[in-house]
Amino acid sequence: MTKEEIIEVIKKHIVENLDDIDENEIEPQKALSDYGANSLDIIEIVSSSMRELKIKIPRVELTDIKNIDELADKFLQYMNK
Amino acid sequence: MGNILDYSLADFHYNDNPDVLSPPEEFEEWINNDKIKRSFSFFEQQLLAAPKAETEILSNIDNKKRRVINLTSYNYLGLSSHPEVIKAVKEGVEKYGMGASGAPLLSGTFDLHTKFARMLAEFKQKEDCILYSSGLGGNYGAIQGILRKGDVFILDEKCHKSLVDGGTLSGAKMLFFKHNDINSLEMMLEKSKGKRTLVAVEGVYSMDGDLAKLPEIVEVCEQYNAKIYIDEAHSTLMFGKNGRGVAEHFNVEDKIGVSFGTLSKSFGGVGGFVCSNASLIRYLKCYSSPFNFSCAIAPPIVAGLIKALEIATRDSSLRDKLWENTNYFKKQLLSMNLNLGDTESQVIPIIIGSDGEKLFQMAAEVQKRGLFLQPVDFPAVPANARRFRISVSSQLTKDMIDEACNIIEDVIVKGLKE
Repeated sequence: MTKEEIIEVIKKHIVENLDDIDENEIEPQKALSDYGANSLDIIEIVSSSMRELKIKIPRVELTDIKNIDELADKFLQYMNK
Repeated sequence: MGNILDYSLADFHYNDNPDVLSPPEEFEEWINNDKIKRSFSFFEQQLLAAPKAETEILSNIDNKKRRVINLTSYNYLGLSSHPEVIKAVKEGVEKYGMGASGAPLLSGTFDLHTKFARMLAEFKQKEDCILYSSGLGGNYGAIQGILRKGDVFILDEKCHKSLVDGGTLSGAKMLFFKHNDINSLEMMLEKSKGKRTLVAVEGVYSMDGDLAKLPEIVEVCEQYNAKIYIDEAHSTLMFGKNGRGVAEHFNVEDKIGVSFGTLSKSFGGVGGFVCSNASLIRYLKCYSSPFNFSCAIAPPIVAGLIKALEIATRDSSLRDKLWENTNYFKKQLLSMNLNLGDTESQVIPIIIGSDGEKLFQMAAEVQKRGLFLQPVDFPAVPANARRFRISVSSQLTKDMIDEACNIIEDVIVKGLKE
């Protein structure tokens, strides 16, 4: 799976979990919090994305991640493990 | 599961186990791990005496009874066990019995509740007040009662779970702004233009002890015609010239739409209250579920709370002592070069960093030395800012603070150097 495909998966789960967000307005360089997500929203988005991608990453390893692009990089790193 | 210690409660909230009555796969393996069990042993430790500055606990670490200096209870002004309060509670229980035996709407409103709500409204300089039997119920009941689907609820990202739950129940769209970041708040206000919008902040943030930047928040909210809801759980009776809270401290009380407070912290009892304009309180009494469908605060507790409010407001002696203790404690901790974050209040974090194992080792050691000082772990706080959290009380003596500092120096300061 490519990084672009991973970003599409994350985008899909952002749209499913947050109100009034259009997939086209999501920019990978932005943080989930820029779209008004709280910590529980982020847990849902990240968990459901990981489930779809069949990976499991401890949340503590994601705390320094600043935006969607970096999240996709982390996912890709685990998928290639 | 790789290294089990890399996992935390943040990893098991999401549950996709096909059996709805089972926790997520691997949760059992994680929670039954010895090191994880040790970290959980700090929860639900039994207090064997009143939550005074010195108390006794049954330690979960070694199952021993232990006298401790108490730096964890929220009994900031010592009112839960003040002799005048105890006398008022005893008189209340003699006259009214133990419980209210009904929700406020139908049969749970006693003369004491009406009197106390009036006193609180006058104290907070608002038109009216509604009482709730828990602080959590007060926050989520007020938010769920005020907001509707189609409205926007903007919260500081560090707001309490009760506010988040209230927003979820209300059906309003929730937007979170970066902690105390006015630009981030403005970004969310921009998104909510044209909608009924409520902004929630806390007077004192409970994990960091810093204050809401109210003057700037008020200014930007006025520009966007958004109303402000302030949670003064950790600031009522302590901040401001008259103890009315952080809104009084910043002289912006007339700009606050709704003022919430708990009755379990500085008041020393249990419950929550919301003060606002009379028509909103009237409306809340019709639509706020915890008011309509949960039993009222027990009358003897209300009797004690009335006395607590009288004591805390008849002069400034209790809060003066609290600030004297806070300033002294903070000075001693800073002289040890500890990282206290941005605290501006009686809530003082000692931030130790990212090492969770070290946090719990130190926590066990300080407790064995006679301090009741609880650790706070990720995800309650950021993974790189795990901490201890001190709740200063007016009841602490200088000797107790000195002894606490000795233990902190021996265990935490030395531990951080290792």
